[in-house]
Amino acid sequence: MRLVVVGNGVAGVTAAMAVRARDPRAEITIISGESEYFFSRTALMYAYMDVMQRRDLEPYERKVYRKQRLERRLDWVVDLDAGERTVRLMGGESLRYDRLLLATGSRGRRAAWERELDGVVRLVTLQDLDACERWTPGTQRAVVAGGGLIGVELVECLLHHRVPVTFLVREASYWPAALSAEEGAMVAAHLRAQGVDLRLETEIASLEGEGRVSGVTTRAGERIACEMVGVTIGVEPNIDWLRRVKTPPALGRGVVTDQAFRTSLPGVYAAGDCAEVAGRIEPLWYAAKRQGEAAARAMLGETVEYTPPTYYNSAKFFHLEWTGVGETAAGPGRFRKLPGREASVRVIEREGVVVGFSMLGSRWNHRVLARWVEERRRVEEVVSRLYEAQYDGEFGRVVL
Amino acid sequence: MIRNRLYHDLTNRGITGWVVAGLLVWFYMALYFTESLTPWAQRVGLSSKWDLYGLLYTVVVVAGGIGVIRKYGNNRYQVVRTAVVMFVQVVFAFSVPMMLKALHQPEYYLSYFWPLKFDYMNPEYLFAQPWPFVVYTLAASLVGVPLLGALFGKRWYCSWVCGCGGLANTAGEPWRHLSDKSSAAWRFERVSIHAVLGISLLLTGLLFYSWFSGSKSPAVAQFQTWYGLVVGSILSGAVGTGLYPLGGTRVWCRFFCPMAALLGITQKAGKRFHIRVKEDMCISCGLCSKYCEMGIDVRTYAQRNESFTRASCVGCGICAEVCPRGVLRLENQSGLVQISGVSLS
Ligand SMILES: Cc1cc2nc3c(=O)[nH]c(=O)nc-3n(C[C@H](O)[C@H](O)[C@H](O)COP(=O)(O)OP(=O)(O)OC[C@H]3O[C@@H](n4cnc5c(N)ncnc54)[C@H](O)[C@@H]3O)c2cc1C
Ligand code: SF4
Ligand code: SF4
Ligand code: SF4
Repeated sequence: MRLVVVGNGVAGVTAAMAVRARDPRAEITIISGESEYFFSRTALMYAYMDVMQRRDLEPYERKVYRKQRLERRLDWVVDLDAGERTVRLMGGESLRYDRLLLATGSRGRRAAWERELDGVVRLVTLQDLDACERWTPGTQRAVVAGGGLIGVELVECLLHHRVPVTFLVREASYWPAALSAEEGAMVAAHLRAQGVDLRLETEIASLEGEGRVSGVTTRAGERIACEMVGVTIGVEPNIDWLRRVKTPPALGRGVVTDQAFRTSLPGVYAAGDCAEVAGRIEPLWYAAKRQGEAAARAMLGETVEYTPPTYYNSAKFFHLEWTGVGETAAGPGRFRKLPGREASVRVIEREGVVVGFSMLGSRWNHRVLARWVEERRRVEEVVSRLYEAQYDGEFGRVVL
Repeated sequence: MIRNRLYHDLTNRGITGWVVAGLLVWFYMALYFTESLTPWAQRVGLSSKWDLYGLLYTVVVVAGGIGVIRKYGNNRYQVVRTAVVMFVQVVFAFSVPMMLKALHQPEYYLSYFWPLKFDYMNPEYLFAQPWPFVVYTLAASLVGVPLLGALFGKRWYCSWVCGCGGLANTAGEPWRHLSDKSSAAWRFERVSIHAVLGISLLLTGLLFYSWFSGSKSPAVAQFQTWYGLVVGSILSGAVGTGLYPLGGTRVWCRFFCPMAALLGITQKAGKRFHIRVKEDMCISCGLCSKYCEMGIDVRTYAQRNESFTRASCVGCGICAEVCPRGVLRLENQSGLVQISGVSLS
């Protein structure tokens, strides 16, 4: 079998390795225009903060690719011909495939007010990282727009380099997609305590400057002078390039696939951030990994019926860790701030049954929490057994 | 920015890093092989260069320890562990021996054991000491150390007590990430550390044989001198500490320390200490591997959802501390229980 993988992110590389593990004879080629080797996108911020070097971002030693006979191409795929079963690279080369995996991930969403100016950055690709590093020295102030998880990472990086940051968040409370108003207030207080100039309910209307950005004007008309603007208003499946190929697969919000990751084209599969699997997009690292693994099995002919597990995620807002499980936005739930600590627990219920958890400031075993949700446990029981899911380090168990 | 660049240079094998390493190696060479530090010692009222070294060492451990406690202040494990390491250094590795010396008694370092403190199991030396010390040393080296290693892992010694580990985990903090993570280094480590252990066991055996038989051959005496020079001075001092800015803080501990080899074996055999990996939460960021001073590629285990015990792991807990997703947890218990969400004992 000839397998071609477009995208060397976690979905693509996991799939390639899983195919290799099962089929020693497959010919496997992984293509990416972004980087020669698979790296952890999730660790971009640590490279920016200089607590890691570029090479440290690579989860596998380079010799692994040689050992597993995973051929690599540093190039962009620009055309897909499902009739001929080929993809064409920007450099001109054409590659034949029996199975093609589209794993092209996400890209940073563009804002309506955006213009091509130096100093306007995002934090999604290695090239973004280069730009961030390039513009940081000499920056007196940066404005970061968009209060998601990447936004707060970018803010942390900038502050780490002692660049004052004004952080603009559209919503009235921080990250309402997952946090309750109280939790949003805790995170906001934490950010402010770190020196972040956080402005809620504030949006950029336009950028100022020629060549290099020199400031932003908010919708309320306020002008903020700055030499860098971070655009972190979310990500979207990276599928635009597929609209321009000879035979595009069916596209929705992402590349549309069934539960076996099959797209509308024969022999062509999609997984990871770019895939809309049975109507759902899961833009998460662990999901991309899981999907890559499952897509590999599907491409090898196994019957696969992928269903996403109970949602979980974790994040870190500077020093404040967060674990979310299930329907974190489903309601205020039973919220409790833990005494004497910057920590809280929220057990979210519907008609007395637990549907989710949102935990700030301490460590939790999401597996146990997810199991309670899946088993539809009563909220009283769960609240009394909550300690069973704690995952704090030795000597550090948080008193509930 | 200039400050950041300098710090980067110093802690990432830049010119400053090399210069500091050169100075440290030079310092160790001067210490071990010349008397040039003796006048300095006398100037501050100490009788020997070793006392001066002990004082400097203690000051550096305490200063570095304060820095570490501030850095990891909200991690109780780090705070307690660092406080203990500082305490042991100040009391058992410095004040007690100095006091004994002032009272014209032999200097005993009660926090050091064989085979790290090689002489303590040299019968010629050992059996010339008062009996409480003999009992203490034999019980600690032969029973206490391995037993605690099996029960709590190597960490009870290497991260909580030992002065070498103490220096690494306090003053060495800025360089901990320089450990080599390659699998080649791991292969080298497994050979080198067991080789040194083998050599030190052999030498101890020979010394006991000589002692019992009442005659020490010149070859054994030479072997002993050679061991003291190569292992004691060059590897543990000049290489182990001098190369902090180039090879990270645990070069000696990881590749050469015979005590580490022994504790590593008991840690594995005890099957109690392990690092637990929370399933499917690792984002492969690599901070754990980067900051593992023993060069363990923690990320490889974490991204495979594998809880693990590695012989070399000193249980410093920094991997768990830096993990941004709370994936790792140091634990002591019998059996390696993977979290599957089924039981959480
Ligand atoms: C800063 C940041 C922090 C994050 N933190 C977390 C986190 O903490 N937890 C979490 O769960 N998720 C996190 N994510 C999301 C996570 O990184 C993604 O879910 C994951 O990387 C998706 O993997 P993927 O393999 O689908 O795609 P990607 O990792 O995006 O890889 C796709 C690759 O395909 C390449 N490519 C695209 N088009 C082409 C083409 N036409 N030809 C050739 N190559 C192409 C791209 O350049 C890219 O290298 C974070 C994302 C970012 C940006
Ligand atoms: S490895 Fe050896 S020198 Fe290092 S801390 Fe452990 S016992 Fe001490
Ligand atoms: S694995 Fe973790 S606890 Fe063990 S030595 Fe490395 S960083 Fe320390
Ligand atoms: S630090 Fe945590 S998330 Fe990052 S690679 Fe290690 S275990 Fe995974």
